[in-house]
Amino acid sequence: MKLRKTLAMLLATTMVVGLAACGSKPSEPVSSTPAAPPAASTPAASTPAAPADNVADSITVWVYPVGGWGDEAKVKPLIDKFTADTGIKVNMEWLAYADGDDKVNSALTGDNAPDVIMEGPERLVANWGVNGHMVDLSDMIDATDRQEILPAALEAGTSADGKVYLYPMFNVAHCMAVNYTAVKEAGAEANIDLETRTWTVEQFDATVKALHDKFGGTVAAVYCAGQGGDQGTRELIRNRYGTKLTNAEHTAYTWNTPEVINALTDLKNMPGIEFDASLAGGDEIAKFYQGVLKMAFCWNAAQQLDPNSAGTGEGKTLTGDEIVYMCFPTQEGKQPEEGSGVWGLGAFDTGDDARIAAAKQFIKYMCDSENCAQAGDISNFFSCRSMAEGVEIKSSNPLLVEYYSKMMPYMGEYYQITKGWAGARTEWWNMLQRVGAGDDIAETVAKYEANANAAAAG
Amino acid sequence: MSRELARRETVSAYLFLLPSLIFFVGFVVIPMLICIGYSFTNANMNSKTVATTFVALQNFVDLWKDETFLLALKNTFLIVLVSVPTVCLFSLWVGSAIYNLKGPVLSAFRCIFYLPVVTGSVAVTVVWKWMYDNYTGILNYVLKGAGLIDKNINFLGDERFALWCIILILFTTSVGQPIVLYVSALGNVDHSLVEAAKVDGATDIQVFWRIKWPQMMPTTLYILVITTINSFQCFALIQLLTQGGSGTNTVMYYIYVTAFKMTEQQGHFGYANAMGVVLAIFIGILSAVQFRLAKEK
Repeated sequence: MKLRKTLAMLLATTMVVGLAACGSKPSEPVSSTPAAPPAASTPAASTPAAPADNVADSITVWVYPVGGWGDEAKVKPLIDKFTADTGIKVNMEWLAYADGDDKVNSALTGDNAPDVIMEGPERLVANWGVNGHMVDLSDMIDATDRQEILPAALEAGTSADGKVYLYPMFNVAHCMAVNYTAVKEAGAEANIDLETRTWTVEQFDATVKALHDKFGGTVAAVYCAGQGGDQGTRELIRNRYGTKLTNAEHTAYTWNTPEVINALTDLKNMPGIEFDASLAGGDEIAKFYQGVLKMAFCWNAAQQLDPNSAGTGEGKTLTGDEIVYMCFPTQEGKQPEEGSGVWGLGAFDTGDDARIAAAKQFIKYMCDSENCAQAGDISNFFSCRSMAEGVEIKSSNPLLVEYYSKMMPYMGEYYQITKGWAGARTEWWNMLQRVGAGDDIAETVAKYEANANAAAAG
Repeated sequence: MSRELARRETVSAYLFLLPSLIFFVGFVVIPMLICIGYSFTNANMNSKTVATTFVALQNFVDLWKDETFLLALKNTFLIVLVSVPTVCLFSLWVGSAIYNLKGPVLSAFRCIFYLPVVTGSVAVTVVWKWMYDNYTGILNYVLKGAGLIDKNINFLGDERFALWCIILILFTTSVGQPIVLYVSALGNVDHSLVEAAKVDGATDIQVFWRIKWPQMMPTTLYILVITTINSFQCFALIQLLTQGGSGTNTVMYYIYVTAFKMTEQQGHFGYANAMGVVLAIFIGILSAVQFRLAKEK
């Protein structure tokens, strides 16, 4: 009897605790009324600074895996330093590109958004910013800042009505890569100019043919399983005959052009190039790293420094083949336009002034202080500013310095802020799938461009 | 029993039910009602800039003009029509073949078939993705080695194969529970009736269809309904393998994309909820038909 009573009590307690647990607020994001910062969260050796009275002592920061910022071990020392310097505890959460948007959108719907987020203008400005979810950071950017920040990056972080929703942090030119060891084996190294890293469409086609003749199978994939890494296919296709995918005002999509249709036709008919609906950008990088594919269209400085994020050395495949980064091929005499990547921090409008003040302090610390250099180094990209608070910001890594000099002059405009971008990206990879499946290219391009423009129109 | 005692027992019973009831109402009934309510609006994520208004049946009208939705609906029905009968028949066959095996052998078979059910769907999907790989997958390796194909098949990237590949994975992850249920149902068949039928000269097939099958009907009905619902709600496999591409879009996946990816589309929440309501209606109709047929049997 006693045993049954004890058992009944235990069950009842479990139910009550279960209910209580379900009723409580989730631990992250933090509640709007911050608790006092725990002493254990600051480095033991120093006495932490205390935040001002009107500044929250705890914020939540969500980070997409942008370059090295996806690596918690690399980021943590800088975050700890921030906490030690300001007394503001930071709850970091790393998102994945696969479902990061879903988490943010769910949080916004439930009025549970984080305080700070790191990503690019297509999300912070064109989506969440113009839809009223972000704080305007214009008051953080003075005349000196405007001189120090890369104008194109600041423009990308600014909405059409002049509000700054993204404080630019770092940027990179997206390019492509070739397995140089394989190219040499195929006897096509004459097509690769290691000095300029540019090449013509004819040289690219000859290299694909040489690699296909030598190794057979698929040399490179026009990947289209999803939107991941789609900048690679966009830049490959638009550079081939030199065209833009949006209008200059970034209000409409303009990819239904002879240049795009011809580029798609060329690639579809080229032996060694496969429109592969089973690969997205990340999968393509993995196949290239494994040596299966001999070219990758989803590449940048961070990949060159640490291919496939595998930690097996700079510029090497899994089997030790040499990787060479290249511009996307263009017509003779035409200058390439590499994909523009800009990332930065934005603050969500949580409606809590103290939290917004703390978020701005975090943004100032990472984007406009002597810590900019460290933040940029973590990313493996390039800081968006030359100076910050009197300190020169530059990378010390020789590979990054070389990449900067060779690739960054070709960085194209940031057109990803065009209205309806999320829908347009979906239309792009669906269009590539239909082209790969053998549909009429001109009709397919026209149909999906129209869909993208319908998305832009809302 | 006195009225007081009965009252106290009733109160106790409701108190014990209360925790489950709270969960059921909070996480099933209320969200369902909200879903139905939103399906008549143009609700969207950006309520700060775009007000939510009542649009009556407009979302439902738009659905029947939406090519993507109609394709997703077709794929969903194809999955249901293929997977439900095959899962039931295969489970019945395996259950019949193994139910009278010796204890450890029976347990081993049950474990083998149940393993994909208890293994996480992500892990199962990743393994299948490796096997289906266009470049280094074992299926292409075996088919090529056997001389059946000259060129690798892009199982997940070719619309001729992709949906069938997903149905195959769904099949392997769906048969475990029905097999265990059928083994259990066959074990509970009244053996005196079986023996009597055999004494009267009934063949094995007659014994199965006339004695065992009617007694297994409640189990079959449960399996049919559960498999139908699971097939209608096929989502994780699509998300992890094809993201709705290569002709594999389903209604569940399209709901997710519309609700959480197409946030710039006006009224995306309302539209996604309308899809959810339509899907629920189809599931309800099919389940009702199954109940009706089983009752007639």
